Amino acid sequence: MDIEDKIKELARRNLEAELGGGQRRIDQQHAKGKMTARERIDYLLDPGSFEELDKFVVHRCHDFGMDKKKIPGDGVVTGYGTINGRQVFIFSQDFTVFGGSLSGPFGEKVCKIMDLAIKSGAPVIGLNDSGGARIQEGVVSLGSYGEIFKRNVWASGVVPQISVIMGPCAGGAVYSPALTDFIIMVKKTSNMFITGPQVIKAVTSEEVTPEALGGAMTHNAKSGVAHFAEDSDQAALDRVKELLGFLPQNFREMPPVIECTDDPERKDKSLNKVIPTNPRVPYDIKEIIRTVLDNNLFLEVHRHWAKNMVVGFGRLNGMVVGIVANQPRFLAGCLDIDASMKCARFVRTCDAFNIPLVTFVDVPGFLPGVNQEYGGIIKHGAKIIYAYCEATVPKLTVVTRKAYGGAYDVMSSKHHDADINYAYPTAEIAVMGPEGAVNIIFRKEIEEADDPEATRERLVEEYRNNFASPFKAAELGYIDQIISPENTRPRLIKALMMLQKKRGSFPERRHGNIPL
Amino acid sequence: MSEVTAPMGGNIWEVKVSPGDVVNEGDEVVVIEAMKMELPVVAEASGTVKEVKCQKGDAVEAGAVLVVLE
Repeated sequence: MDIEDKIKELARRNLEAELGGGQRRIDQQHAKGKMTARERIDYLLDPGSFEELDKFVVHRCHDFGMDKKKIPGDGVVTGYGTINGRQVFIFSQDFTVFGGSLSGPFGEKVCKIMDLAIKSGAPVIGLNDSGGARIQEGVVSLGSYGEIFKRNVWASGVVPQISVIMGPCAGGAVYSPALTDFIIMVKKTSNMFITGPQVIKAVTSEEVTPEALGGAMTHNAKSGVAHFAEDSDQAALDRVKELLGFLPQNFREMPPVIECTDDPERKDKSLNKVIPTNPRVPYDIKEIIRTVLDNNLFLEVHRHWAKNMVVGFGRLNGMVVGIVANQPRFLAGCLDIDASMKCARFVRTCDAFNIPLVTFVDVPGFLPGVNQEYGGIIKHGAKIIYAYCEATVPKLTVVTRKAYGGAYDVMSSKHHDADINYAYPTAEIAVMGPEGAVNIIFRKEIEEADDPEATRERLVEEYRNNFASPFKAAELGYIDQIISPENTRPRLIKALMMLQKKRGSFPERRHGNIPL
Repeated sequence: MSEVTAPMGGNIWEVKVSPGDVVNEGDEVVVIEAMKMELPVVAEASGTVKEVKCQKGDAVEAGAVLVVLE
């Protein structure tokens, strides 16, 4: 063979690898409304930027006749490329090859790009569409999963890791995505579970469909395992691009700053009207969030889960910020188990990647209930404290209305090293609500009064005027500034600029012991 | 048929519909008072009110059926 023939042979082999499991299986993939592994990469990465590695890797299994069935690439496409000019590493599981099942060499390919990502400091994107372990490979397959999990842990907090679930993801396979920073699921075509419907039926007699058990909305609304639910493969990949725009390449870098087209000094009078005069009436905290952010753009994370807490990304003067907010419209904005986990996880994600935190507080307290106590609200609520106290990124807090009791403390209070704490004049910062406080402090006086109800009402009103305000907290320095709502945006931006070079550190230790 | 359930435990502050009323998805049907807040409970589907299972002042648990629609 001369060089021309050798180049032709390479082209033939490339073509063979690119066909994956063959045209028939590609057609089946399309018929399900799914893109192929390679189409997904082409859609996500900048045109022509993809550099594929290990294209000719095949499995080494000789059992069960597998030595006669080999497909170059072995069920996963791996490599690197760019998204909006920024380096990323990617693996894309190919359902057309052995159902995307994971073999030893398949795992080695994934590990190779993860190692490169950690060494070179760039995000890892995993596109999941796999039937699970390749049974013929036996324990080799399990070893491979284990190697991937370990690298997910090594990469955690070093580079962003984003998982997209675009087909089945069952059994041990779920734990790689579970260890990453964000999970995006495609509606109808994806599902995730540890044990599937058939096993569940055999063991517990419960009957459930794959969609109900582990579909996109199950994990977005019920379990909180996933962060985003999208209508199609394309929409899910668009979400990856959007999300990456808020994240740095690695923990040593700052998130990308973009030129701000929205006036940093912009005041908004409408903010003065968002909070109802009657403290009993709820409102939508997202109105305040959107109004304050650059161009009113807010990417909400975990939109469908624990709606009493709102978290997500936006920009102030072009700089990325992580927003955390109580939502009075749901469960009165109370903190419960799910909201605590949602908040703590997001705060730690932001702190890991140098994203300043802006917290809007309107919280009447922790949600009372036997289920909450049995479910461990004590340890889950403690996660919020832990996350805020260990976060060394700039931390700004705005108390819009209620900040009562323990919930006041945990929501990025001064005592947990928030850098600047603002309150609106409508803020009620106190040890508890007026009704409860009066019943305790003045129990005797109310009991002995000629008209107990009138006395109670008078005392509640007095308490409300004297204590349910931001002024007691401001007198103590717990609130740095009381601001008019219309000034929220310029004030936050000024504080953020002031904190640009903030550095924090902790006493030496192995690592902290967050209550899990 | 669909049911409107209590999102959290509390007291019924106001019932805004009666049997026979037509409601649209997103309409407020009941207001629950909980944690010193008046929380609107909305219909998640459109329909006609078949039965109202609560009245002002009732204490309800989270998940309790408040209104049945058909």
